[in-house]
Amino acid sequence: MLKERNQDSMKKEILITGFGGQGIVMAGRILGQAASLEDHHESTFVQSYGPESRGGACSAQVIISNQVIHYPYISRPDILICMSQAGYEKFINTIKPDGMLLVEQDLINPRNAEVEIFSIPATRMAEESGNKMMANIIMLGFLTAVTEVVSLDAALKTVTRLVPEGTEEKNIQAFNKGWDYGRATLKGREKKAAGQTGAIS
Amino acid sequence: MNSFHIILFVCNWGPHSAFQKLQDESADIPAEVKMVRIPCAGRISKALLIKAFEMGADGVMLAGCHPGACRYGSGTESARQNTEDAREILELLGLKKDRVRFATFLPDDSEAMLRLLKDFSNEIKRVGKSPVIPTRKPAPGPIDKKKVAEVVAAHDIFACQDCGKCSSACSLAQMGKPFSPRVVANSVIAGDIESPTVIENIWACLTCGLCYERCPSAVNFPEFIRDVRHVLSKSDRAGHETHGGFFQSMMRTLTSPDLKPEHWEWLPNDIRSNPDGKVLFFGGCAPYFDIFFRRHLGVRTRKILVDSLRLLNFFDIEPALLSDERCCGHDLLWSGDQENFLKLAALNVESFHHLGIEEVITTCPECYRTLKHDYPEHGVEINFKVTHLYEIIEKEISKGAVDFKKMDQSVTFQDACRLSRMERMADLPRKLLSRLKPKGFQEMKDHANAAVCCGNCSWIGCDSFSKALQVQRLRQAHDTGSNLLVTACPKCQIHLQCAMEDPFIGEEIKMEVEDLSSVIARTICWE
Ligand code: SF4
Ligand code: SF4
Ligand code: SF4
Repeated sequence: MLKERNQDSMKKEILITGFGGQGIVMAGRILGQAASLEDHHESTFVQSYGPESRGGACSAQVIISNQVIHYPYISRPDILICMSQAGYEKFINTIKPDGMLLVEQDLINPRNAEVEIFSIPATRMAEESGNKMMANIIMLGFLTAVTEVVSLDAALKTVTRLVPEGTEEKNIQAFNKGWDYGRATLKGREKKAAGQTGAIS
Repeated sequence: MNSFHIILFVCNWGPHSAFQKLQDESADIPAEVKMVRIPCAGRISKALLIKAFEMGADGVMLAGCHPGACRYGSGTESARQNTEDAREILELLGLKKDRVRFATFLPDDSEAMLRLLKDFSNEIKRVGKSPVIPTRKPAPGPIDKKKVAEVVAAHDIFACQDCGKCSSACSLAQMGKPFSPRVVANSVIAGDIESPTVIENIWACLTCGLCYERCPSAVNFPEFIRDVRHVLSKSDRAGHETHGGFFQSMMRTLTSPDLKPEHWEWLPNDIRSNPDGKVLFFGGCAPYFDIFFRRHLGVRTRKILVDSLRLLNFFDIEPALLSDERCCGHDLLWSGDQENFLKLAALNVESFHHLGIEEVITTCPECYRTLKHDYPEHGVEINFKVTHLYEIIEKEISKGAVDFKKMDQSVTFQDACRLSRMERMADLPRKLLSRLKPKGFQEMKDHANAAVCCGNCSWIGCDSFSKALQVQRLRQAHDTGSNLLVTACPKCQIHLQCAMEDPFIGEEIKMEVEDLSSVIARTICWE
């Protein structure tokens, strides 16, 4: 969780990676707009236009800060979100030592990661609720819950505004799934840290 | 009337000689003591001890022979155990254990007896008048045929097409009982309600609902039976209550508004509840079952409640508990006592409303069905939501980050008729079962909506056909190759375990039984 949230200077650099068609860019756009338009922070959003965007790897860079951002490109992310193994391999070495890693559990083997990892089977959850295309929104809900870089309210409003008309309700449901999963994960870690692993300790 | 009523059960042998001596000497036996002479103190069952209180006693003393002096050998010990259990039950009921006492006397112990009677009488006066209002027993009389006709019309029994599907499905008929729901329905329509066979059949039905499941005309036979039983009871033609009517006595006692039961005193300290919460956990009668059956079946249904609460706590849900919780009334309703059912329903709902409860969680399928459907259907309005524990647990688990430990047992599942058939929720426990990690899971031959009954409902008329049914069911469970029978209702556990006590085939049909809530609670963990 972000401890700097309430401190004077806050700056978070977030890199989302995956492959084309997973809605990586959309997730980045929602995150950036939620931070600026709803939470009233500064934010920048850049989508990668490298050769990899043609069908292969794809990424979105979002910076959220409470001060003016002078340069929108990220070289050392605080938060790395990976939805493909290729994206993971490419960026894992750039993450800051105290950074957070969020991965799509079924698609990524987070070998050699030395930072705190949060994983969610977003694609499977999306398939179970009938729409594989919503894995990005589930991931976004998860991200909102575990990192708190944007507020829940801001994220929900922005999802509603940016997703195609007529799909708002489905997307909100997907977002909430990811959010619930994130909250459950945090709760589980808290309980485990307190030595309560099961219902009968 | 403010006078006290103390019942003194006196064994025919030693204690009666002592009592007679007091009478002969015109000793000043406290006036509130009413003596009842009995053949042996060991024959005064828990049911009889509690019945005295249902009928308005303020105190009961059981006088038996000295240990070793019992003419029948085990009478003293039985009496001691029964009194001990009855005292605990009185505590649960909120009547205080001091109202029952057991003492032993030799024939020449008259002085000691007098001292003890005076002491007990003072004690009862100190504890005070019992808040129990005796319920009236209906007077014998002719069966109200008009009412029967109304029940027939209300359930549209005329829709029966005489196809016989119900009779070929009926669990009792399958066991060879000369019993047919079709014939019962048609006899009642024909006005043949006075016939002893018809009456016997009306009380024999298990209300398991298998016939309704099969009926092409949707004749709801179990509810029809339930309501005909009500009419029969009103003319004193109640069925045979099992266990000496203990459970009916306990439920009727609980209908007294001034009684303050102490339902949760026994709960382990580490369970977290929230007295101001708007979500309430309604436990049901498990605490009574465990005391009543502890010397016979080793029943441990309180564990179901503890494990359910632990599961809620696992997900950080801290429900409110009703310290003076009463029975939901299910068994009174299904055994024909609608009047007392309604009293319990009104008292429960009043308590919920008083606390501003918005949602009631139950783990017992009977409580679930009763609170959710039978209260409103019988005119007791509810303004709270009724949720089964499984619904909440499933919702929480599906949020993710939860895992289950591997089990070293293979499991099969006994459906609860109230949940799987009547509430059409057979899929829900299965969804939870599919999340577990047992060695294997195998359904019994008859399962889900077609599952076979555990053999008894509402503590009415348990007989050899019930036993045969249970044996058949346990054989089906063994046929799956499983070694753990998972249940969803405390009573399925009790009745099926009862069959395993059979001295001849008990070993063969024995199987470990555990409630689904307990299985989940002991295997769930954070991922
Ligand atoms: S199954 Fe229904 S229609 Fe057929 S005999 Fe039974 S009650 Fe009548
Ligand atoms: S409710 Fe059960 S026991 Fe009663 S008639 Fe129907 S199948 Fe038979
Ligand atoms: S099966 Fe056993 S416990 Fe159940 S009602 Fe019959 S005798 Fe009682």
